[in-house]
Amino acid sequence: MALNRKIAYIDLSTGKIETKPIPLKARKLFLGGRGLDAYLLYNHTEKGVDPLGPKNTLMVSAGLLGGTLASASSRTHIMAKSPLTELLGSSNMGGFFGPELRWAGFDHLVIKGKAEKPIYLWIHNGEIEIRDAGYLWGMTTTETQWAIRKELDDEDVKSAVIGPAGEKLVRYANVMTGIKDSAGRSGMGAVFGSKNLKAIAVRGTMDIKIAYPKDALDYNKRFITQIVSAKVNQTQGTLGTPFIWGATNSWGGIRTRNFQYNQCEYADDIEPERFDEIAEETMGHYHMAGCFGCQVHCRAKYRIPSGPYAGKYDEGPEYTSQGAFGGEPDCKNAVTVLTGNHLVDQWGVDNLEIGSIISWAMELYELGILTDKETGGLDLSFGNDEALLEMIRRICFRDGWLGDILAEGGIRASDTIGKDSFEYLIQVKGMSNLHSDERATPALALGIATGSRGSDHLRSRPAIDLYHLPEEVLRKVYSNPVPYDGPLSSEHTSYVGKAWEVFWQELCYMGVDCLGICKYHTTFLGATLPNFEDWSRVIYYNTGMELSPKEIWDVAERTYNIERLFNIREGLTRDDLRKGDTLNHRYFDEPCLRGAPDVIGAKIDRKKFKKMIDEYYEHHGWDENGMPTPETLKRLGLDEEPSGLV
Amino acid sequence: MAIEKEGLSGAESLAKTRTYGKFRCHNPSCMARITVEPGATTCKCPKCGLEYRVAWIRPDFPRIRGPVWDVNKRIAEEAVAARKLKQKGGK
Repeated sequence: MALNRKIAYIDLSTGKIETKPIPLKARKLFLGGRGLDAYLLYNHTEKGVDPLGPKNTLMVSAGLLGGTLASASSRTHIMAKSPLTELLGSSNMGGFFGPELRWAGFDHLVIKGKAEKPIYLWIHNGEIEIRDAGYLWGMTTTETQWAIRKELDDEDVKSAVIGPAGEKLVRYANVMTGIKDSAGRSGMGAVFGSKNLKAIAVRGTMDIKIAYPKDALDYNKRFITQIVSAKVNQTQGTLGTPFIWGATNSWGGIRTRNFQYNQCEYADDIEPERFDEIAEETMGHYHMAGCFGCQVHCRAKYRIPSGPYAGKYDEGPEYTSQGAFGGEPDCKNAVTVLTGNHLVDQWGVDNLEIGSIISWAMELYELGILTDKETGGLDLSFGNDEALLEMIRRICFRDGWLGDILAEGGIRASDTIGKDSFEYLIQVKGMSNLHSDERATPALALGIATGSRGSDHLRSRPAIDLYHLPEEVLRKVYSNPVPYDGPLSSEHTSYVGKAWEVFWQELCYMGVDCLGICKYHTTFLGATLPNFEDWSRVIYYNTGMELSPKEIWDVAERTYNIERLFNIREGLTRDDLRKGDTLNHRYFDEPCLRGAPDVIGAKIDRKKFKKMIDEYYEHHGWDENGMPTPETLKRLGLDEEPSGLV
Repeated sequence: MAIEKEGLSGAESLAKTRTYGKFRCHNPSCMARITVEPGATTCKCPKCGLEYRVAWIRPDFPRIRGPVWDVNKRIAEEAVAARKLKQKGGK
């Protein structure tokens, strides 16, 4: 049965391990992955807990469809209170770990306490062992994975690991599997490190029984047809995600020099076709690879062609590395982007966060808020490629005064630096924004302002809003599975109907995060990709569980409200610049200076933005302060939900 | 079982709206569909005049690689200047 995988409660302080089945009721209310993790986080974590203390509870899970016949069911979800934001910590990675966890008999791991010394968990065919990881401490993410395989004498072992950044409690350290798959956002690697948990290694040969295998295969063929025929996925399969950065930079939607400009001009060397050329030159024609069960193959394999790391193998770069090590610091050099990408993969840190933090520091240096005294003599000017790479090292190893304070994350660093440094920090809820500039796109601005884990492009972004789709197409997408007859606008500079788009996308992305499916296989970058209606069929054929599209929507809404409740419990208020649903003042006060004719001069209108937030709260059934109303909680069955469900 | 086995899902039914061999102008106030000559390396939007460098995913599948920087910067600067003049009441 696809539903017979278990949940394991692991106390690293005592060494006690308990496994339990997951009741069908819990499945129907939360599915799995991010859904059940959110429920577990809310009920197993005390208010105000230190995110780097032993009482923070860490969840690691596969999605409900992980490892089944469902397409791209590769994702692993990790959740805890975030050491970066002190709010919801949640991150998600592809690769092969999640399916392997399910084949080893488990869907969810709930990890509490702190081991006395470095350990790793070894999970195989229903068994869980705590093993010594002293010899692994200090290793890079790739070294760690191969050392574990060698110790266990099995090259098929998949591990989720941390690198030096996680060990040193860099507050935005990530968890990695494979060479580049990372649960990057919100500092889950630091939570691993705080528990002396170097890795979780899994290997399983326990088959997942598919409920209706023929139907599941037949429907997956339809699913695959939808996926591979989409233009956006054909582009991804050729160029990887860098095409997104390239397309956005073309019109002026990329932030550059921290947030001073919205286009990286004459950046031909970091355009996607350039990375494709390097991949072809160093790895040959067939250089694209994919995660478990995926037909898109969006990751390029490459070797760094020159410089101090010449010849080193890696994969990507994702568009996040392109922005973090190219556009934001204004370093227009492909080798720098590829090298930065390699360093963060090996040392285990969120590329997006570290690139944004360094670019912020570069602007502070330009303004004289940081000087050579604070940088230890490093010329932290924009466009200084060597300084960028050196700062990555200093942060990951907490080397020097500046490296150490930047490792604490933007808000804490701004408290230490003082002066006006916070004014220049481009963040929401303590998490840095993506490299995109949302001043010309109100819907995207709303999405990052309200994301439950902080500034976020992967949890609510209505990316298809940029395509100027006819209203009837938008209506077909956004009126299903819940009817919507309110306004919608094809204009992506408009504020009309955008609150609904963001709300709908939130629940769509929540759906795939609960199922363990990649976002490139749903309505993210293409309007013709599968969503609720298709998932209902896929769930039934693979697991036998009947859920209508509307019931999946309800699961997503229920889970989103639990995340909201968690954040409110931890101090979220609507207009708080540190923990609220709002944006840095520069979005409202500083107009775009570059890009297409009508992008120049664009900025977010404060009044219209406030109205959009009001509408967004209304769609959610929250009051004007963003609190879920008693009626909403009752409708979602959260008013009397027992904490002992699982 | 309540699951419909037949019929296209909403997402599947939208597949017919896809267009191949064309792309949209990246100028937000334009967004015109541009048809590109096979193998072309640059193109000009017939509606707003912005120019783009073109790359090819396949021989029948073009994409915008990026702007022709000098041309589009000049057009943007002229448009902004005209807008400012209009705001001041000029012609």
